Amino acid sequence: MYRYVFLSALVYVLLLAGLVALRGEFVALAIPMLLFLFYGYWQAPEELNIEIQRLLSNDRTTADSEIVVTLTITNHGADIEELLLEDKPSPRLKIRLGSPRHLLRLAKGSSFTFAYTVAGPRGMYPFEKIHAVSTEPLGLIRREQLIHTDEKLTVFPGMTRLKSVAIHPHRTRVYAGMIPGRIGGTGTEFFGVREYQSGDSPRTINWHASARYPESLFSNEYQLERVADVGVVLDARVNANIFHSGRSLFEYSVMAAAALSDVFLSHGNRVGLLVYGSYLGWTLPGYGKIQRERIMRSLAGAEVGASSVFAGLQHLSPHMFPPESQIVLVSSLVNDDLEVLIQLRGRGYQVMVISPDPAGFERRLLPNSPNVELAERIIRMERGLLIRRIERAGIQVVGWDVSIPLDQAIGPILMRSRRSVFRRLP
Amino acid sequence: MIVIALVSSILLSAGSLAFVFFETGFNSFGVWILIFGVAWLFALWRGWGWFSTIGLFLAVMVSAMGLWLRLAPGWIFAGAIFALAAWDLTDFRERMRFVAADDNARGMERRHLARLTLLSLAGLALASVTMILRVRFTIEWGALLVIVILLGLSQLVGWFRRQ
Repeated sequence: MYRYVFLSALVYVLLLAGLVALRGEFVALAIPMLLFLFYGYWQAPEELNIEIQRLLSNDRTTADSEIVVTLTITNHGADIEELLLEDKPSPRLKIRLGSPRHLLRLAKGSSFTFAYTVAGPRGMYPFEKIHAVSTEPLGLIRREQLIHTDEKLTVFPGMTRLKSVAIHPHRTRVYAGMIPGRIGGTGTEFFGVREYQSGDSPRTINWHASARYPESLFSNEYQLERVADVGVVLDARVNANIFHSGRSLFEYSVMAAAALSDVFLSHGNRVGLLVYGSYLGWTLPGYGKIQRERIMRSLAGAEVGASSVFAGLQHLSPHMFPPESQIVLVSSLVNDDLEVLIQLRGRGYQVMVISPDPAGFERRLLPNSPNVELAERIIRMERGLLIRRIERAGIQVVGWDVSIPLDQAIGPILMRSRRSVFRRLP
Repeated sequence: MIVIALVSSILLSAGSLAFVFFETGFNSFGVWILIFGVAWLFALWRGWGWFSTIGLFLAVMVSAMGLWLRLAPGWIFAGAIFALAAWDLTDFRERMRFVAADDNARGMERRHLARLTLLSLAGLALASVTMILRVRFTIEWGALLVIVILLGLSQLVGWFRRQ
């Protein structure tokens, strides 16, 4: 309740009491409060006419990096005796230095600048509102204004760089890249031997094969290296990410998705991202640095979502990915995922699963007890069984103990080629 | 500076009211007023800003009761005005928590205290003059008061409806 209402009520009670009792003393008692009220009305603030500029030291940053928010307020109206300004950053951002609230005295035409420092976890943080309250000197009458602004801070996920990830999609694109294209041509990796054709470099002649067939000459053929379509699918389902005491494995999955997207894009591939949670967050496939920025922004805003519709992977539509392309699923996996993954494989996709280990993650959150150990053993057995079934379907599964950094834990495994494509002479 | 003024206002308010009640033989009531003063100080120490509103309300009611009992009006007015000052200073202290480090906080405090002192003195003076002149209720004075009250009440009702 505004203070002037309370004071007015007191004054009227006293005046009423004076009138009813016909005692002037009550009216006299009301006079000091009346004086306060009159002074408040006399000095009441005018409509606010202020201009506010907010400047972020950087609007793109990484987790826990400090960002300085600077606000400059210019008063275009009358003198303001007391102006309380409150910037409203997201509650998830921690104020490291300074304060987003300030009480100022702002003369007509003057400016004031203040700054505060924030840091926060991965996410998108819009700075949309500034709350301004001007009061007269006694604080009885106030004018409030919500000033809308449109700055946005993007905190990107932490990312480790992977050197390379060996993938072998059935279909590649026409541009030169680093993915073996399953087509003979110029390249570095041996692909097969064919009959010599006019124009072949003498360096490519396979003398051993030619010696076996004296009538003919044979040339070595190398595998064309092309770029490929890669769809990175980030599993943001609650049942696959949230564990004991609400602790989430999702940040690790985001980190892995960021690292994978980065390495695929840096090798020239066409990469798309699908965040599979309470809805399907799709970043259309693209190349290069702009696509990297799009994907990182999408990952910055990715959140775990609870949805009965997307509780399973059955809505992971293969129509979103080009046929026979590479799909990389980042998921801790739940038992029901097996069927969907087999279906994807059956449709010709090359599927790779990067799976942060939920058993190890949750085990570290729990106390040591025989029951916990038994539960861990059971979960590990179930998970081992699930992974073996998935691998039997021709899907590469790479488990990741999240206590070890991604590049050290699975970097060397991902660099290894799982199989070589080799075509022999007939 | 503000804290000293605030504590002094609470002490003077409770002290004045208690003194006038002790002086006229209402000892148990005086003790209750002192207990209330201590409670106000405790609330101040705990940072319960809302208590000042209750404090002012009770101080005004006790003052009205004192006037009803025809106790010495000087002490009564002093009690009410210091309670009003304490109520104002509590809110001002809350607002001053957000003052910018490079804003002139001392200057703001000085200006506020000066305004408050002047207003309190003026209020006390006007109230005293009213008591000296012994304003008597006539029909015209009563009618004017009724109009003022009705106007005020309509404003209050309008404010509540807007909310």
